[in-house]
Amino acid sequence: MKKVLIVEDDSFLQGLEVEKLKKVGYEVSTASTGEIAMQKIQDETGINVILLDLVLPDFDGFDILRKVKTINTLKNVPVIVFSNLSEEKTIDKSKELGASDFMVKSNFTLDELVTRIKEIVK
Amino acid sequence: MEEKEILKTENEKLKKINQERSDLISISVHQLRTSLSALKWILKMFQDKETGELSQKQNDLIEKAINSNDKMIELVNDLLTLNSTESISDLNNLEKIDIRELINQVLSEFSSEAKEKNIEIIVSKENNDTPLITCDKKMIIIVLQNLIENAIKYSNENDKILIIINKKNNELEVSISDNGIGIKDSEQDKIFSKFFRASNAKDKNIIGSGLGLFSTKIIIEKHKGKIWFEKNNDKGMKFIFTLPIL
Repeated sequence: MKKVLIVEDDSFLQGLEVEKLKKVGYEVSTASTGEIAMQKIQDETGINVILLDLVLPDFDGFDILRKVKTINTLKNVPVIVFSNLSEEKTIDKSKELGASDFMVKSNFTLDELVTRIKEIVK
Repeated sequence: MEEKEILKTENEKLKKINQERSDLISISVHQLRTSLSALKWILKMFQDKETGELSQKQNDLIEKAINSNDKMIELVNDLLTLNSTESISDLNNLEKIDIRELINQVLSEFSSEAKEKNIEIIVSKENNDTPLITCDKKMIIIVLQNLIENAIKYSNENDKILIIINKKNNELEVSISDNGIGIKDSEQDKIFSKFFRASNAKDKNIIGSGLGLFSTKIIIEKHKGKIWFEKNNDKGMKFIFTLPIL
């Protein structure tokens, strides 16, 4: 079973993401703050893909992306930035820091998100 | 000298206000999108019967709600584009680009929409060599996205869309023609107005915010180009824009 780490501070959106991913057969771990996310990426094993929101209450999502890319066991794990920001500079910066994809939440259904995750972790 | 200083100070103030306005819109858009995402995902769950079977009436209402929510998402997306378009007082990121490459890039973004309606898109060039143009690449991508997306949206199934690139004197001319629903003669003078939606597009429930062509015109004019439209063979539309070859 593939494992997805969801970093999302909005509890309602996070709940919907968790429900969908579990339903289609993923193991899910969650972080609702940057601090928890930092802890999880250092302590947890077996993460196959990270779904990363950028606007978090305590951290900038970019800091988490940077951190992921410095951890040997995680640096090759794909990170999908899943945000409601969409400025070109934000997308460019995410890609520069090593994100595999950038998806604007409101433009995608959860089924489309699942399809993208499947393509990326194939 | 004193007058110059005053003007400089005023200019700085205006820039600051503009930046604050732009930041406020970005933050508001982010918050709006969060609610719209939640609605989109929940409505889809209902539509997919994840919460149980629906009656025909409930199904119809959910479909209308999805459509309405998608309209709002498009409006928010276009407001954001307009915000970035209007806030650039000068074109700062000028680079030399090959318009054919940008067209191909945008076409690949819309390939699934075109495939869904079985629309064939043909790109043709009148001259052997297409000169490079100096422009703000991201802004010209927005122009192409708006015009190509419109051509697909307003086309009927199995239609063809023709994109022609032509060098004329010191200008590069790009035309995008469709055989779609067109626009009434009486509404043509409003086509580039803010929030304008053609009545036949609204009747057919085609999603749009009425900001795409408004933004497109601003971008082309900032590049010292021109944009206009013609009727395409009595049905459909042909949008033409020019950009100076610098």
